[in-house]
Amino acid sequence: MKFSPILRTSALALGVASLALMGTSAYAAKVPAGTVLAEDQTFTYRDLDEFSSLDPQIIEDVSGSDIARDLFEGLLNQDADGNLVPGVAERWEASDDKMTYTFYLRDNAKWSNGDPVTAGDFVYAWRRAADPETASPYSWYMDLMSIENVADVLSGDKEPTALGVRAVDDLTLEVKLTTPLSYFPQMVTHTTTFPTHQATIEKYGDEWTKPENIVSNGAYTLAEHVPNERSVRVRNPLYWNDAETVIEKTTALIINDDDAALTRYLAGELDRTEIPAGQYPRLKEEYPDQAVSFPRLCSYYYTFNLSDSGPEAFKDVRVRQALSYAIDRSVITDNVLQGGQFPAFTFTPGATAGFEVPDVPFGQMTQAERDAKAVELLAEAGYGPDNPLKFDMIYNTSEGHKQIATVMSQMWKQKLGVEATLGNMEWKVFLETRSQQDFELARGAWCGDYNEASTFLDLVTTDSGYNDGKYSNSEIDALMEDAKTGGDATANYTKVEQIMADEMPIIPIYHYTRVMMMDPNLLGSWPVNNVEQNWYSRDLYRVAE
Amino acid sequence: MLNFIIRRLGIAIPTLLILVVFSFSLMHLAPGGPFTSERPLPPQVLANIEAKYGLDQPVYVQMGNYIWGIVTEFDFGPSFRFKDRTVNDVIAQGFPVTLTYGFWSFVVAVSVGVSLGAAAAIYHNSWLDYLAVGISIGAQVLPNFVMAPILVLTFTLWLGLLPGGGWNGGQWQYLVLPVIALSTSYMASIARITRSSMLEVLNSNFIRTAKAKGLSNKRIIVKHALKPTMLPVISYLGPAFVGMITGSVVIDMYFSTGGIGQMFVNSALSRDYSVMMGITILMGSLVIIFNMIVDILYAWIDPKIRL
Repeated sequence: MKFSPILRTSALALGVASLALMGTSAYAAKVPAGTVLAEDQTFTYRDLDEFSSLDPQIIEDVSGSDIARDLFEGLLNQDADGNLVPGVAERWEASDDKMTYTFYLRDNAKWSNGDPVTAGDFVYAWRRAADPETASPYSWYMDLMSIENVADVLSGDKEPTALGVRAVDDLTLEVKLTTPLSYFPQMVTHTTTFPTHQATIEKYGDEWTKPENIVSNGAYTLAEHVPNERSVRVRNPLYWNDAETVIEKTTALIINDDDAALTRYLAGELDRTEIPAGQYPRLKEEYPDQAVSFPRLCSYYYTFNLSDSGPEAFKDVRVRQALSYAIDRSVITDNVLQGGQFPAFTFTPGATAGFEVPDVPFGQMTQAERDAKAVELLAEAGYGPDNPLKFDMIYNTSEGHKQIATVMSQMWKQKLGVEATLGNMEWKVFLETRSQQDFELARGAWCGDYNEASTFLDLVTTDSGYNDGKYSNSEIDALMEDAKTGGDATANYTKVEQIMADEMPIIPIYHYTRVMMMDPNLLGSWPVNNVEQNWYSRDLYRVAE
Repeated sequence: MLNFIIRRLGIAIPTLLILVVFSFSLMHLAPGGPFTSERPLPPQVLANIEAKYGLDQPVYVQMGNYIWGIVTEFDFGPSFRFKDRTVNDVIAQGFPVTLTYGFWSFVVAVSVGVSLGAAAAIYHNSWLDYLAVGISIGAQVLPNFVMAPILVLTFTLWLGLLPGGGWNGGQWQYLVLPVIALSTSYMASIARITRSSMLEVLNSNFIRTAKAKGLSNKRIIVKHALKPTMLPVISYLGPAFVGMITGSVVIDMYFSTGGIGQMFVNSALSRDYSVMMGITILMGSLVIIFNMIVDILYAWIDPKIRL
């Protein structure tokens, strides 16, 4: 789900029934005047892993979503900066109480078989997403959207038809909510809310997404799909804005190995690939026009187990602070990762829309001051050379995580005499262990589901299903609740981060960046400013050499 | 001979059954399941999904249903991870890829390995022998995860002759590098086995007799020496062939061929139970079948075995 900061604030500023009118001229490949386009308008990029599905209501991974945004089109899209622009809907209205949203659809949107795209297609898709029969791993997203009756539909207590969405007529879609969500329009850029073609799904069942069966409504159609190898999408001449689309063909190649992908990029087989850890400085020097690094909405951290099964030592806030203070984050970002990552003293990344990184005291100190303070705090807590602090820290198996854990444990050992034992686990075992609080200190990483601080800070609320450290603070719970129901969200988020800096339930390490190589002729149209990295092939273009 | 084959088949079926029961149990014992994720699903959603895949039933019921589905309908179930594919689809897509590059690797490994080994033995202690031994030791110590990047750097990045990966329906350009990377170490082993076996045969009494009778060297090698030389080679070839056609994770990972080796590893990591079982059964069957073929070949070459 994708929140646009700008629309959100303007809607709040109006504070009345906002009639969002965006005109009919829509965003597509905005080629600046005078640009000479290349003859060859294709785009080939690397994906790490095969996507699990192309069914919009079922997709759960980034690689699948990237493809679905080309094949399908939802009510609204994002532009290169993450702002909302029209999709199938030309405009929308919210009621005064923000409990009812009405979307007005364009009359020229078509399915790839020529059928018109109607409000009924959205109603069908949304019911399908919530229907227990569909068993979508993303049905919780419908819950997050707070659509009327969604909880009862998910649990099977009510029929999917009870969901609070209806087609007033073919071109008008009305949605009823249970909480006033001012950012609801941002949520309909997410693939779960994309329309699907009922007749096709009923005809082919689970196999409807195969290239020979699929009917879609986006700027591209699926031409080829060889699982674990490649998928190809080509322009859809029936797309309502095909005239403004430039890229003819987009190919996703599955390449599991980072280094193999980089070699193939350098050999000219790919237009875009990720840069393996530690190689950014070298590549930036060698290929300054191709190696890029820009912020992502993700945080890397370690969480203390504060539940009853956690170690006694971690219940002492001084121990938690000492361990966090003694980590020299710049060593990890500048010497280990070397991809422009940001040292983290808060959980929420600074790139998050509407979030100002608060000046938490320990972030303002120099590392020498932090180290001195850490020694002091740990001594106060009763640990020292005679009574060294010992604990286990776990991470999921990966060379990168191992390096960071090693650096952290070395810093603790040298500065504080702490003995941390490293343990790695296979991914699923790690998740199971962490979720059952069977650990002392565990690695964590979190990427925002939408561009708003609550997608991070909800994690430290008592009831969060993702709060594996079982940290609980009633003040934070109250602040987060207040932010959702109309309080001053920004001020509340700042306060929550300040409380976390004092209590240190987690050790923030760094905020991620996206570090990639991209063909300089395409890079100009890549949305580097969209921190959620929602991109659409129809917005890209390749300039001539 | 027929008795021998029937006896071997009689052992194969229970072996396969034990393999299924054992793998199925082990798999379910591993922590985490197909729907364990970093973002745990709400209980209601998880229950819906588990019900859809029958994971809400006791493991022995699941196992029973699974085996029944295979026996009655040859249905290995849907993939837990790939929502629009069944296990049969996954295997039908990946196995031919693996079979293709595995088969060619086998052909290359055997033809090059046997020729190299035989040449080394025939021209024992000559420069040819030293060269052959040098090549095979070199090839043996270079594991394919080192070979693969070197090949790609050389042929793709520097020379620009061959694509660095992909499959493209198995066009020959896409086959060359995976085949070289996969066959090299097998080729080296085959060469070494052939060489030592042939040396032994060439020094045995019946060859000396043949020489004494005045037969030509060519005739001695082709007619008399080659067959006994092949005995130890064949016992190596059975497992080697299965090893090659059941895929290599390294090859699939590095060359993005989309073969079955990598699917196997991924299915285990993502706890895609049905795909993992499907590939286990496929690989198990192949191992059993090829071991049987080797035994039969052996019995045919060496009558002592049949006794």
